[in-house]
Amino acid sequence: MNAVEIKNLSKNFGPKQAVCGLEMTVPMGAIYGFIGENGSGKSTTEKMICGLLPTNGGSIKLYGKDHTDAAVRAKMGVLIESPGCFPGLSVWDNMMLQAANLRIADAEKEVIRVLKTVRMEGAAGNKYKNCSLGMKQRVGIAMALLGDPELLVLDEPLNGLDADGMRIMREVFLDVIKDGKRSIIVSSHLLGELQKVATHYGIIRHGKMLCEMTADELDASCRTYVALQAGDMNRTGMILGGRYSRVEEDEAGYIRVYDPTTPEEIVSYLYENGICVTEIMTDKIGLEEYYIDLMKGGK
Amino acid sequence: MNNTVKFGKISFSDQLKSMLKVDFRRMSKSRLLYILLACALIVPILMTVMMAMMDGSVSVNPQTGEETIMKGPENTWQNIGTLPGSEAMGGMDVFAMCNINMMFMAAAVFICLFVSDDFRSGYAKNLFTVRSEKGDYVISKTLAGFACGALMLIFYFIGSVLGGAISGLSFDLQGLTAGNLVMCMLAKIFLMLVFVSIFVLISVAAKQKAWLALCGSLGGGMLLFMMVSMITPLGSTFINVILCLAGGVLFAAGLGAISNLVLRKTALV
Repeated sequence: MNAVEIKNLSKNFGPKQAVCGLEMTVPMGAIYGFIGENGSGKSTTEKMICGLLPTNGGSIKLYGKDHTDAAVRAKMGVLIESPGCFPGLSVWDNMMLQAANLRIADAEKEVIRVLKTVRMEGAAGNKYKNCSLGMKQRVGIAMALLGDPELLVLDEPLNGLDADGMRIMREVFLDVIKDGKRSIIVSSHLLGELQKVATHYGIIRHGKMLCEMTADELDASCRTYVALQAGDMNRTGMILGGRYSRVEEDEAGYIRVYDPTTPEEIVSYLYENGICVTEIMTDKIGLEEYYIDLMKGGK
Repeated sequence: MNNTVKFGKISFSDQLKSMLKVDFRRMSKSRLLYILLACALIVPILMTVMMAMMDGSVSVNPQTGEETIMKGPENTWQNIGTLPGSEAMGGMDVFAMCNINMMFMAAAVFICLFVSDDFRSGYAKNLFTVRSEKGDYVISKTLAGFACGALMLIFYFIGSVLGGAISGLSFDLQGLTAGNLVMCMLAKIFLMLVFVSIFVLISVAAKQKAWLALCGSLGGGMLLFMMVSMITPLGSTFINVILCLAGGVLFAAGLGAISNLVLRKTALV
């Protein structure tokens, strides 16, 4: 059984088609990285999954049941756009309100548990409006975690988090899915961070699913390259450009050769041309580069 | 590994109970509610005392030299409604308009801000993600608004009594009984349900646009405002109470169903 199964989903805002014929499958126990450009339809899709937007067509099934099923919806956690807290109330009061909303029996204990999880137990008495952006984001995630939801839908949960906050979130995500049943849909523009935890990916463009893959499939389809530094970088680039079809210089100042080759072959070739290589390594492109390539229409 | 997840059943009454818990907890933390209740208590005291102090004072129009004698309240219950045989109910009588019936409009302020806060803060996302039915939300908001409105009416009544006592006004019901007074208050409280249902519908339709909800509610409320004194006079009987109760329930059910439909068919964020 899949946690989320979307078939032919559509949503129009007047004449603008935000989502058209979207197909999406989130397996149980997955951290599903939902990626796309601004305005590609990620948030709209997430809102429809959460029942916050009516659909114009298609079907959404959550754990095999229609997404309007009260019992399934009661076991969802959400963080879309903002944490959804009352600014005049304290963090604690906001959490207790949500605990009441979720019919949690031992509300105080549960609120303390999730606040501890996101390291916010010390700021429970603060008024929400006085919290920093990162603290607000942590509160939002804590709120989404209340009541051990089966499905978490998180839109840009890493925004505003510091390095420690991101590390905590990674731990939280991995902890959530450890039983293999609970699932997380997480959209983020911080692709490097997303790659550290995501088990599945879905890339959306213009309201349509461009591709879905597992982390292993992504790993297999990410191109390997040889990156190097040498004494005369301009000449090195020209010489390598004459032999290999795709040679590029990256942001860190390394020359990358994407053609199938080995470091030994490059080193000896450059040596023959009177260039001494100072540093060389093989690596794979990351999710970010893969995504940019895909958006450009590359492989 | 067992590849299924079991979900417990959730009844509508469970959902409603949790929604009521959320709304009444929020109400108890709402500064606006306490401000409105304080106003409901203080306004009649201030109005009665000040008007009683001005009773008999003469103001002269400097252009025409015409003298006007200010007329103050004669009876405490003028704050609640028109006494039979009262002569002071002309257009200039401040108590004809500014009496307990103002609370029907004050309730609009509370309900519009209470509902729009759900949407402005984004809390609506947390609410509606975990509840697919919208009826519990509408019922809970209507009951919370009704409780607030009823409290404001009661506070205004207490303020009127205190104001009358401080000003030394008569408590004579002039042929009416205490039963009529109780029926009048009960009728007003039940009639509040009609107004609350209208305010909830407008607020739910306006969502985060509090200004639109307020304008719509105050405008809509004004259309019905004049009927309040007619349906709930000081000499109200059991019939008035029943009429107001029936009207309140019918409006709450009818407009509640429309509010529910609005929530189901429109975007909640």
